[in-house]
Amino acid sequence: MSNSKFTRRGVLRTVAAAGGLTAFYGPWHHNRVYAQATDKPIRIGLTSDASGQYANSGASDRRGMLMAVAEANAAGGVLGRQIETTHLDTETTAATGSRVAERMITREECGFLVGAVSSGVANAISQVAQRYGVIYLNTNSSSPTESGENCHRVKFVWDGNGANFSKASIKNSIDAYGGDFMLLTNDYVWGHDTARATRALIDQYGGSVSDEILVPQGTRDFTAALLKIQQANPNVVAAAVGGDDQIALRQQVAQLGMGDKIAWINNQQDWPDIYGLPADNLFGVFGTTWYYKLDLPGVKDFVGRYQAMYPETSMRVPGNVFYNGYMATKNLISAIERAGTTNNIAVIKQLEGHVMSAESRMQHHDAVIDPNTHQVQQSIYLATGNTAPTEEDDIFKILTSSAPEDVRDEDSLGSCKLESYDDTPTFDA
Amino acid sequence: MIELIPHILNGLTLGLLFALIALGFTLIVGVMEVINLAHGALFALGAYFAMTTIGGGWFGSSAFGVWWGDLPIATRYAIGVVVGPFLAAFAGMVLELCLRPTYGKPQLYGLLLTFGAALVIEELIRLAWGTGEQSLTVPRAINGAFFMGGLIFSTYKFFAAGFAILAIGLVWLFLERTPYGATIKAGAHDSEMVRALGYDLSKLRLLVFGFGAALAALAGVVMAPIWGLRPHIGVDVIIPAFLIIVMGGVGSFWGAVIAAILVGLSVGITGAYAPAWSMLSMYLLLIAILGFRARGLLGRKSALEN
Repeated sequence: MSNSKFTRRGVLRTVAAAGGLTAFYGPWHHNRVYAQATDKPIRIGLTSDASGQYANSGASDRRGMLMAVAEANAAGGVLGRQIETTHLDTETTAATGSRVAERMITREECGFLVGAVSSGVANAISQVAQRYGVIYLNTNSSSPTESGENCHRVKFVWDGNGANFSKASIKNSIDAYGGDFMLLTNDYVWGHDTARATRALIDQYGGSVSDEILVPQGTRDFTAALLKIQQANPNVVAAAVGGDDQIALRQQVAQLGMGDKIAWINNQQDWPDIYGLPADNLFGVFGTTWYYKLDLPGVKDFVGRYQAMYPETSMRVPGNVFYNGYMATKNLISAIERAGTTNNIAVIKQLEGHVMSAESRMQHHDAVIDPNTHQVQQSIYLATGNTAPTEEDDIFKILTSSAPEDVRDEDSLGSCKLESYDDTPTFDA
Repeated sequence: MIELIPHILNGLTLGLLFALIALGFTLIVGVMEVINLAHGALFALGAYFAMTTIGGGWFGSSAFGVWWGDLPIATRYAIGVVVGPFLAAFAGMVLELCLRPTYGKPQLYGLLLTFGAALVIEELIRLAWGTGEQSLTVPRAINGAFFMGGLIFSTYKFFAAGFAILAIGLVWLFLERTPYGATIKAGAHDSEMVRALGYDLSKLRLLVFGFGAALAALAGVVMAPIWGLRPHIGVDVIIPAFLIIVMGGVGSFWGAVIAAILVGLSVGITGAYAPAWSMLSMYLLLIAILGFRARGLLGRKSALEN
């Protein structure tokens, strides 16, 4: 006869222990971070570049995120929890972006990642984020692939992309200057994707591309390219050149006086890239998502808050990069608040399809987070250099404002295949 | 073929500018056998000093500042071209004093110290001048563009190339035709003998480092209107400078100049016909040259080759 003795209490104890172990070790293989104490701060990882080609823009991006976090914390935090941030330099390098994302998730216990300027870095971060189910806001990188073939369930893209900006400018250029285009393209993912989108639109509107000059990242002397453009003499040059390369290009074009001899389309113009440049460097037409002199409610107050928080910064007014960093972070926080939980899937559902009023965005049209591509569909502005500024910082002249539906990137809709909710690991941050 | 001429011309001007950038670097490597990774940071520092001098930022709105601002831009520019390198030379000398404990130790110590110095200088620039893009004003006479063969060329770039020829010539004259130059060269060849002859080697090294830093800064002042001015601009300088001195033969003055012109030509011409390869072309050139001649174009023959 066995000595073992089954008691009700013993069985209950065993079942409770097994249940506890099961909850922690399986079968929930998706669970990475376990529900944390509700008084524990929510940690957001800031993945902005602090060195490399986009160091300047990265700093501006980060200032935007930090202002949104500071305002949320001053208002009591989110779900009664304060928000903490941690920043690691992604160095404008995709490999570093991957390492930073991995470290932020596994060692810094960040439940959310925010920030990017380079599309290559953003893509690398988002692959890691998707593996862990961590929501990632791509604030400022504008390659169409970010919301197209490289889209992910956890990734949300806040900037307008190359296709949006090209759509806003190509047809006007053909009508005004003619259809013979030459492309000047930075030889990396954003440049190629933007050039591809530009080509498609040029074809669509009856123009043609006579040549494309690929310039490697890090090019500091554009004379060879500029000589070639002069020899070819196209109607329009569509440039997709970013960061420091673009600054060097602008200065050299201005020095040659070529800015007004050929029509230039410069796709998007990030504020930190041109802030402080002389007026003659701002030739051609370029796109932006926001400008500090937009005559809309809330803009002046926003600029005032920026100046109060960053009195020492050399950039005296906020630009589009700061704006995107701020808006992305602010909307992430309000999505957590609306979800009433930090569960990633619940927050993703709050972000998908979320409509943001024009007033809250300080833009001319309502914006919406596309549920199929996760890109924010928003107002796109075309601008040029301001020849009659009202103050020192007033260097843009806004030419047009396009509604989101008029500049929609249709290709992304076809190429974006979001992972299912079931295939996305779930956790509470 | 005629279409190629503007690109050859562009390559030559670019090469002369590369030579100017590499000049101070090769001097310090040749004489002191220190690979100065702060060369790019000193390049940037000199340009920032010159920019502030030209703009009058040092003097604020004082009476002197107002008087300074009223001076013709050409005068302020000429003074800036002197002041920028002079102040950077001082920074270079401070760096040399910091380097002294590393002499006689493995070269890695000096390498790490100058790398650290580059980071420190870059951060100091950020603190002093901010992170944003700045521009260095140049006199109208050397700005703008001119037409040649139906194409527009930058006046400033040709001025800069001419300036580079002048600087190369002056440095060569200094090294070859003055007793100071003879001492420097002798110090590079046999430092023990120079010391035995009663020369103060410490002072010599201090001056050479200061001179090298001044040349880096001079290149910065000249290049800033072309490349723009930002705290990390020195990063763009250090790799071409390093490639050029290796290609030319470490320590060889004319080797560096010839290598710089070859790099300029390869970048300029590939920039026109295969632009995606333009940056890579300088590395391919390095492989080609070192593949045939391991000590570089005009490098000294190694004792191992005898």
